[in-house]
Amino acid sequence: MSRAAQDAELIRRIAAGEEAALRALLAVHQTRVFRFVARLVGNEAVAEEVMSEVFLEVWRNAARFEGASAPGTWILSIAHNRAVSRLRKRREEAWNEDVAGSLQDEGDDPEVALQKADKGEVMRRCIDKLSADHKTVIDLVYYHELSVSEVSEVLKIPENTVKTRMFYARKKLSELLKANGIDRGWP
Amino acid sequence: MTDTSLADAEREEIEMLLPWYITGKLDAHDRARVEAYLAAHPEAARQLDLVRAERAEAVAGNEALGWPSPAATERIMGSLPAARPGLGALGMLRGGLQQLGGLFMAPATGAVRWAAVAAVLVLVVQTAVIATLISQRPGGSYQTASGAAGATGIALLVTFADDAKATAISQLLAEMDAVIVDGPKAGGVYKIRLRTEDRSQPAREALVRKLAERRDVVRAVLPSRD
Repeated sequence: MSRAAQDAELIRRIAAGEEAALRALLAVHQTRVFRFVARLVGNEAVAEEVMSEVFLEVWRNAARFEGASAPGTWILSIAHNRAVSRLRKRREEAWNEDVAGSLQDEGDDPEVALQKADKGEVMRRCIDKLSADHKTVIDLVYYHELSVSEVSEVLKIPENTVKTRMFYARKKLSELLKANGIDRGWP
Repeated sequence: MTDTSLADAEREEIEMLLPWYITGKLDAHDRARVEAYLAAHPEAARQLDLVRAERAEAVAGNEALGWPSPAATERIMGSLPAARPGLGALGMLRGGLQQLGGLFMAPATGAVRWAAVAAVLVLVVQTAVIATLISQRPGGSYQTASGAAGATGIALLVTFADDAKATAISQLLAEMDAVIVDGPKAGGVYKIRLRTEDRSQPAREALVRKLAERRDVVRAVLPSRD
């Protein structure tokens, strides 16, 4: 039985009020939900709270899950809604794209930064500095390994927009890397 | 459209697909398109290296986050009675009224009927009294314990026991130096804020435990964002 089929069976049992099924679903999905939300809200304590809300919503709405998508995608969709809602409430501008190049502001010039950190570390920091939209699509594609249609479902945007958003996220990442001393020669 | 612009458009289309090509999430048609393009344009293989590097660091960035705390699962499981499938706050009230209606139609004794009426009224009165606890505060609306300008203390989400008396709820809030700041939300959940200087995680967990022990008043308690 595939992971999606196993998850769908757990959702069915949750809809019937079986707590053990929710516990099993938590064991499989809570870490990925926690990380997905933590990357969005930038705070692990808040991410745990949002994660709790997500699984309580799964508990309440399991009977409404129609199986049109994989349960994992449905859960991430709930997580995205909750995390974005939390961000809106906070009204923080932590994801302002204008921070492009601001890595340099943290101290060193690009050359010194490169001496201190390998390219991988610089890239991780640049990904962190992307806008929420760009960072989220990168995480959904690269870490959560969702297809175009699955990302479309989680973010509630058309599939073509998923492709262009990912494309521009990668371009923005290249710009940030260049501003921090790493020229990838693309775009 | 010129040959050059056609070629650029094709290259860009393929570049858009590369992240999913690397993760193996393209359908057969798009995968074939990418492979045909890569075969005809060997220089495009460099793009694949860029995508692989991005993917490696995106994965590393996620994995560096670690895991949710061991207590997270138990907190979620412990809060389930407040969030039964399909039962929000209105659902609970609607369910109670439906049960009440059913009893009026059923051939029950008068004592059972009045017990049912009393049970539903407890729920309605409890909700009304809690609303009063909120609305009696200055300003007539929700406010944080420290006033509108800044949230101090610790916020928690609670549901009260169905048979908890309003006086018991009020007394417990006073004992805990807490006020209701929001609610009822779906499932009859109220947000309360407890005045305390210590906002550490251990302090938060201690307050959750202390409230959870008061089964006579509190049905479930869960940490909340501040």
